[in-house]
Amino acid sequence: MVDKIKQDDLAKIVQSIPMLSASASRLLQLAAQPDHELADVINLVKNDANLTARVLKIVNSAAYGLVTKVTSIERAVSYLGERIVVSVAIDDCSGKLFGKELSGYEAASGDLWKHDLRAAIASREVVTQSGADINPELAFTAGLLHDIGKALISDYLQGSAPEAVELISSQDSLDYLAAEEALIGVDHTVAGYELAKAWQLPDELIQVIRYHHDPAQAGEEVRPLVYAVHLGDNIAMMGGFGTGSDTMRYKLDKSYTDFIHITPNILASIMLTVDTEFQKLEESMLDSGETN
Amino acid sequence: MGQIILGVGDYGASNNPGDEVKTFALGSCVSVIFLDPKTRTVGMAHVALPDSTINKNKAADKPGYFADTAIPALLADMAQFGCDKRGKGLIVKLCGGANVMDTNDTFQIGKRNALTIKKILWSYGMGAVAEDLGGNFSRTVAVSVSAGQVTISSPGKPSWQI
Ligand SMILES: [Fe+2]
Ligand SMILES: [Fe+2]
Repeated sequence: MVDKIKQDDLAKIVQSIPMLSASASRLLQLAAQPDHELADVINLVKNDANLTARVLKIVNSAAYGLVTKVTSIERAVSYLGERIVVSVAIDDCSGKLFGKELSGYEAASGDLWKHDLRAAIASREVVTQSGADINPELAFTAGLLHDIGKALISDYLQGSAPEAVELISSQDSLDYLAAEEALIGVDHTVAGYELAKAWQLPDELIQVIRYHHDPAQAGEEVRPLVYAVHLGDNIAMMGGFGTGSDTMRYKLDKSYTDFIHITPNILASIMLTVDTEFQKLEESMLDSGETN
Repeated sequence: MGQIILGVGDYGASNNPGDEVKTFALGSCVSVIFLDPKTRTVGMAHVALPDSTINKNKAADKPGYFADTAIPALLADMAQFGCDKRGKGLIVKLCGGANVMDTNDTFQIGKRNALTIKKILWSYGMGAVAEDLGGNFSRTVAVSVSAGQVTISSPGKPSWQI
């Protein structure tokens, strides 16, 4: 039997998590501003020596196979795109959190980061390949952060996976969120929401973290974005990249069709692109040094 | 003991009794397993999508990725070990093809994968003697070449065999 997390326990857990670096925090703010330009991202990277070095290493890694070496940060950022810069900045300052071994879900270390990267790529592809009117780079960033709550509650779920699985198969209406809530009193979207607030993330990202399994609850303005990540998350799990015992034990909200139009062929094409893009991104990030 | 690990879209075979053919974390993907009692060969493909017409280049590069190209590729691979080219005498087992909860038709890739594979097997006159398909969970599958035993595991559950 596992213990419940009380409200002040949750506050303590959140307090124990290091803040984001200034660069990562600023990048996430920028991501949510619809009119920001790549030049803003470039300036930000230029002012952070570590981030500059890492971005240059990535663009010059074997995964991208560029013939001539890129030495200017402008070219590197425009080639890689904002999303890769965000991934690197998050990995640099919070790699420990995202790389945490989710033993409460019987997952291996690295599974959470891989799931997050796959969900990020998939969320962006959902937007671009469906032609939905949603910011694709923001969808990527939101996908990257959506499950951060799992790193906070995993230790409390230690040893509970068989019980959670049993609970879900015994009652048709229950998904893994309900199991988390039943077992420890807090599900991973609520835990993630508390951390997102402490990190002072932009409202769009806070709402994705809170409502990615129940997008209909999100505010009207951000709802399409939350649906995009909802689909991206499911696509990541379907592609074999979940985080252990909870994989695929969540409900699809079929009302996504109000915002996003996807045919079976588009979905197949999204899954294919996710495989290709993920391999490239993972390889380039491994090549470039710090790993989770 | 050797392990032959197959990633998404990979296929492979072995007749070395010490080997284990294994693939990790099938979500909506389906693992097609062929066992040949005559040559004691085990083959497996990790199929991701039903239909190769959406991307011919990918199919040429990784035939195991699509149901329609994976089965001929796996049969050709196993023919090198003396198995019948048309799959005669092979025992077929299938697992994977899970779906998320409350899914709709579009997102039932797991189901479409399984159906397409069965249709293609049918065209060869083959059919599965055992299957562990569907559900809302991911599966890791390992086949021992010496025993021809298929073991499935999933986080939070004790492992089982088909
Ligand atoms: Fe989640
Ligand atoms: Fe997720």
